[in-house]
Amino acid sequence: MTKIFGGALGGLLLVAAPVLAHHSAVMFDDQKEITVKGVVKEFQYTNPHSWLLVDVKNSDGTVTTWGFEAEGPSTLTRAGIRKSDLMPGTELTISGHPMRDGRPAASWIKATRADGKDLDPRNGFAIK
Amino acid sequence: MFNSKKAARAAGAAILAGALVFAAGANAQQPKPAPAPSAEKQRMIDLGIAHKTAAGLYQYLKEQAHGGKPLDWRSVPDWTGVWTREASPFFWDPDQGDVTALPTAKLTPPYQKQLLEKLDRVNKGIEFDPLSNCEPAGMPRWLVEPFLREWVVTPAQTYLINEMQNEIRRVYTDGRDHPSKDDAYPLWEGDSIGFWDGDKLVIHTSQMRAGQYQRIQPAYSEQVETVEVWHKSDASTMTVDTWSFDPPALVEPWYAKQVYKKLSNDDKSLRIRYWDCGENQNNTVIKNDEGTSDFKNFTFTQKDDK
Repeated sequence: MTKIFGGALGGLLLVAAPVLAHHSAVMFDDQKEITVKGVVKEFQYTNPHSWLLVDVKNSDGTVTTWGFEAEGPSTLTRAGIRKSDLMPGTELTISGHPMRDGRPAASWIKATRADGKDLDPRNGFAIK
Repeated sequence: MFNSKKAARAAGAAILAGALVFAAGANAQQPKPAPAPSAEKQRMIDLGIAHKTAAGLYQYLKEQAHGGKPLDWRSVPDWTGVWTREASPFFWDPDQGDVTALPTAKLTPPYQKQLLEKLDRVNKGIEFDPLSNCEPAGMPRWLVEPFLREWVVTPAQTYLINEMQNEIRRVYTDGRDHPSKDDAYPLWEGDSIGFWDGDKLVIHTSQMRAGQYQRIQPAYSEQVETVEVWHKSDASTMTVDTWSFDPPALVEPWYAKQVYKKLSNDDKSLRIRYWDCGENQNNTVIKNDEGTSDFKNFTFTQKDDK
């Protein structure tokens, strides 16, 4: 599996909690961060949350589809992330706080496309 | 300015506050008290305290404005654009500020106990918000939710719109009163009447449902009533002086100044879209057996795929 990094981030309570204003984020482990490399399967650009589905090839040749949750379309637009930025087949590296129960899903922290474009959904809360 | 780090710290703050309060042993720290109000804020707090009810404060403001002056189409102020709240959504009163402070409300003992117990549960990772499945935030919580907002002013009625859960407040400024006591019943957004004092919109809202000011803020009862004074203080700033009156929950009216900022939207890409939690199955959040939030079934895992 192309899992670049995964592990505990340390014991500080006040850092790096995901920003999910619509529902509690307790299902995600904000003390852990995973990073995977894969290709976009589908960008579900929906309210109240968007989901980026990413196919990740495992070391045994199988493929796991990961889901990365972010805020909805208006917040993503404010972050400069449009639906067309992540068309199916787009190669990227993406990191997030993983689910506590082990399912392949995470709250999306940051993604970088193969062409170098950074996509940070949390920038969508900046006032400008 | 609200940004992700501040929001994270804000969330952590209240969680930490709960942890501090409930930490066992002699070394348990108490959360810091809220910062002392400025002289201007104290004046606004005192204005609330001087009136026994929200209706009383509203009538006082109306008398001060000599009844207010109705708008016509030529005098409708320009409140157009796309707006968002400036402060972290996790604080009702932005002045709570410090990440280890408790909310600035002066709560009655039962509501203080309820708040501390809630913060303790959050600190243990037990948290479920009814909003998770698109239940309205409702007033007064409506005031502090994040995301996009629009204000639509007409002479007889003003519409205050939050993208979140498609929540629209209607403020009647045509001189009508609230429904009679016998005809009143709890409403998500309450019943709002208002008048114009020059370029300021003064609103009295009653008939609200019980709820919470935010996930890590105090609760309010069905008796809560609010008075708001909306003023566009410059081209990109809307300030709202807000008093909550709620005898079961508050020892005295809770004053806070809410600030909304107009977002740049030169390319007109910001648009408010309908919210429907049923639109995407992956957004279905449940309250599990432990009483905390979890996702139901995802569409993209072999285990969950339905």
